Amino acid sequence: MRPTGTAEQTAAAPKPAVPPGKRRGRETALGRRTLLLFGGPFAVLFAAMYVAPLLYATVSSLFVVKRSGLGLAPPTREFEPLHNFAQAFGDHDFLAGLARVGLFAVVQVPLMLGLALGLALLLDSRSARAKGFFRLGAFLPYAIPGVSAALVWSFMYSSESSPINHLLEPLGVHIPFFANGAVLWSVANIVTWSWTGYNMIIIYSALQTIPAEVLEAAKMDGASALRTAWSVKIPAVRGSLVLTTVFSIIGSAQLFNEPAVLQPISSGAISSTFTPIMSAQAAVAAGNYPYAAAQSVVLALAVGVLSFVFFKLTSRGENA
Amino acid sequence: MSATDIPDASRPRGAKPGTTVVSRGLTLSLLLVSTVYFLFPLWWLLVSVTKPFGRQFSGNGLWFDGFDLFGNIGRLTAQNDGIFWRWMLNSVLYCGIGALVGTLLSAMAGYLLAKYRFRGRNALFGVILAAVLVPKILFTLPLYLMFSGIGLIDNPLAVLLPSIVSPFGVYLARIFAAQSVPDEVIEAGRLDGASEFRIFRTVALPMMLPALVTIFLFQFVDIWNNYLLPAMVLSDDRLQPVTVGLVGWNASHGVAVPAPLVVIGSLISVIPLIIAFVSLQRFWRAGMTAGAVK
Amino acid sequence: MKASRTRTAGTAAIAALALALTGCSSTEGDSGTGSQELTFWGWSPGYADAVKAFNKSHPDIKVTYQEVQPGAKGGYQKMLNAVQAGNAPCLAQVGYETLSSFAAQGALQDVREHAEGEASDFQPAAWQSVQLGDAVYGAPVDTGPMALFYNKKVYDSLGLKPPATWDEYQEQAERIHASDPDRYISSPYLNYDYAGLSWQTGASWFGVKGDSWKVDLASEANQKVAAYWQGLVDGGLISGAPMYDQAWYAGLGSGNIATVVGAVWQAGVIKGGVKDGAGDWAVAPMPQWKAGEKAVGNAGGSATAVLKGCKPTEAAWTFAHWLSTDRTTYGDLVTKASLYPAAVGLLDLPQLQVKDPYFGGQPIYDVFADAAAEVTPGWTWGPIMTKTTTDLDDALGKAWAGKGSLKDALVTTRSKTVAELKNQGLKVAE
Repeated sequence: MRPTGTAEQTAAAPKPAVPPGKRRGRETALGRRTLLLFGGPFAVLFAAMYVAPLLYATVSSLFVVKRSGLGLAPPTREFEPLHNFAQAFGDHDFLAGLARVGLFAVVQVPLMLGLALGLALLLDSRSARAKGFFRLGAFLPYAIPGVSAALVWSFMYSSESSPINHLLEPLGVHIPFFANGAVLWSVANIVTWSWTGYNMIIIYSALQTIPAEVLEAAKMDGASALRTAWSVKIPAVRGSLVLTTVFSIIGSAQLFNEPAVLQPISSGAISSTFTPIMSAQAAVAAGNYPYAAAQSVVLALAVGVLSFVFFKLTSRGENA
Repeated sequence: MSATDIPDASRPRGAKPGTTVVSRGLTLSLLLVSTVYFLFPLWWLLVSVTKPFGRQFSGNGLWFDGFDLFGNIGRLTAQNDGIFWRWMLNSVLYCGIGALVGTLLSAMAGYLLAKYRFRGRNALFGVILAAVLVPKILFTLPLYLMFSGIGLIDNPLAVLLPSIVSPFGVYLARIFAAQSVPDEVIEAGRLDGASEFRIFRTVALPMMLPALVTIFLFQFVDIWNNYLLPAMVLSDDRLQPVTVGLVGWNASHGVAVPAPLVVIGSLISVIPLIIAFVSLQRFWRAGMTAGAVK
Repeated sequence: MKASRTRTAGTAAIAALALALTGCSSTEGDSGTGSQELTFWGWSPGYADAVKAFNKSHPDIKVTYQEVQPGAKGGYQKMLNAVQAGNAPCLAQVGYETLSSFAAQGALQDVREHAEGEASDFQPAAWQSVQLGDAVYGAPVDTGPMALFYNKKVYDSLGLKPPATWDEYQEQAERIHASDPDRYISSPYLNYDYAGLSWQTGASWFGVKGDSWKVDLASEANQKVAAYWQGLVDGGLISGAPMYDQAWYAGLGSGNIATVVGAVWQAGVIKGGVKDGAGDWAVAPMPQWKAGEKAVGNAGGSATAVLKGCKPTEAAWTFAHWLSTDRTTYGDLVTKASLYPAAVGLLDLPQLQVKDPYFGGQPIYDVFADAAAEVTPGWTWGPIMTKTTTDLDDALGKAWAGKGSLKDALVTTRSKTVAELKNQGLKVAE
């Protein structure tokens, strides 16, 4: 017996609907004690470690750091709810950062997920061998913490010692990893390297849930492997594609580690405001926490709205 | 590595009827190319660590060039009375304990959300998910002020407490609980007169175990990655995790700590994670496919 | 059912509130409430041993040393957070360039009452760095008089002598690059390393006029320096290797980067990071704008500052003063990190007389001793230096790589700094 909705169904909506077949009463069994027992510890910590700081940050964003004269007296904070937001929307560097991660997401997310989907389909196909090896190989980069991954790649990119350019030298090719137009894609490569395997595993797992009969039927109809992949398998993993897309969009919006590690060696191609989070971090370092908070609120809202719209669009398509 | 194929769902696989030599060859070569891409930097890393001290950046780094892995480890150990290994131990403890407790909390909360219905459940779940949207970098200052207020600065708890809360973990646990713990089993437990928590502990938890290993690993990596908050709340260098320690070394511009040592240290610090992933792979793979078994 | 829902929400809210409240109401400083115990945050190599020596010789004061990330890498942020939370250490290492910004954040404690009588122990220029208005915020530890580090092996092989003027330096840049296309005379300078180049000319980035700030980043003198280096950039004579990166160390070792215009502590960086350059390097006076002049810039240097909320201020000052003036301790700092004393009485330290085999047996500190006496006075740092240097480095980084110009970098940074000063309500004199 199959208990509830699959991962895809659950993932397809931000607030998953109650799966069919679950509507009959489970609620009768839920006592206050059980609720507290299971949810209490998490709820308390969640409130303390997420909600409280979030409130602090949001409230801070409504204040302005004010000083006077030469500013040798300690600054005061004044309540001017719109000031920081107005500043953010007039801050070209911040807006450019937003646009940059937007461009990044538009290009990198489909590329990465396309790659992940392709690999998952290859691994899932009847033609694949040594699946365990390939699966592990693709997933291993995820085990490398983001900062370390960026560090390793910074050596790959280094103008002095890049082993990549060394390999390409006989072909007369030299990749300028830190050229103005290239640097965003150098960052994108690191992100793709780190996360493709992770996304591939999620999609691959979803592929495993396709009932054998469905695939058999497709085969009986004489569908080729490509055709089966296109018309049967991809629609079946739609839910996990939506899920991985949303998480990738959020990840792109919060891009920080990789560009921050590359910044010192980027010959100015990566500025301190390269991404919105770097912008916010620079503001924090400069002692202007309220402005950083405002920037982050703007970013979170933008991503929240985007994700929501994306969910709505994809779930509407599903019903149609 | 490939021998441990988890029983792959329900349909027969592995048999090769209906595949041609061409399709097999094409599939294999595409997979090989991608694997070279994924493993290339790891290979560079491996080679670099074994090179004689100070030569980490000379040459193209693609092939071994002398071998002094043990000499390098020796130098790392000698620096500042072996504090590097202390940092490694701290990191393993923070990540291990944090991920373990965090996984348990996520499991309970996810199980609650999946298996019980109560009003506001979906709203609550929405709030938890929305938390993923907020950039963590903002949390450093408020958390610092909070921990200062309750006297937890320079206390491992200041690193552990924030890291055991994982909205994403709850999200995954909910899916896994919904898929791998049949209602009938819970019902049967109740008929036997078992308490809700006992059912969770003895029935649901084992069923969710492979999934929980996945959550554990995700969180382990997450905590290992954490830099800013530990750097803020810990001042005693004997409490610091390895990421914070290495940044400090790096900052001396080679005056107090030779630069190659920083690189060797950061490369070696990755190895435990790789080992964890390789050795736990049968679990995380099973966890990823949890729910696939009908 | 309804009840349980309300309660969950209630519990969570109360928990959040409780923690938020404790977070906000926290903050009675506890460091140093004990008799004479205080904590010191820093990152310089050698400070840990210095603190040990202090504790041995001062039984009545116990200093705990904690290493933090270097200022710009998070140390300063940590200090400011701690001040805000009310549990800052008594003492912290703060670079001169950041001191005025710290003061402007209200993060420093005035120790004039203990310090005033000992001002004459320090070189006047260094003392000015810790004195803002009437207040004294700590003891100056070291200064960064500049000179020219050059790869003697490369210079000898090309028959070159260290340049007396910047014009000569440019000619040498061309000859060096012509001898080998991979070879450059220098790598780019950012932040206070760049500031030192301007400093030499008598320029300043900031100034005070009445109760207003003057932002002079794009002044004529500053533009002259920018234009000079722009010429080298345009000629393709500057390496792409960023300072302190592996590529930079490698370039210094191989001779592909032939000189560094840097402060005295750069000697420690080169010695530590470029082991295979031993014997190749030498030090000469900073090139001059006009032959016969003797102007020198300063780059870096830091103070032991007393942070807001420190209660045993007298003990704090005692330690700060001791760290800057104790002969044995400072001798070790010279050896370990090539710090150059800000204290007058230490200029004859034996460690400053050594003939360093790394520098071919040259008594390099003689060069810096001469330089220290010639450092151009009148430099002023601004009140939001973190922001200013971040913006400047962004723009300079691009300019050194040939995208935009150094002059534009100064102009852009100036306008951003002015905008931020006004935004915070500070007065700016146009």
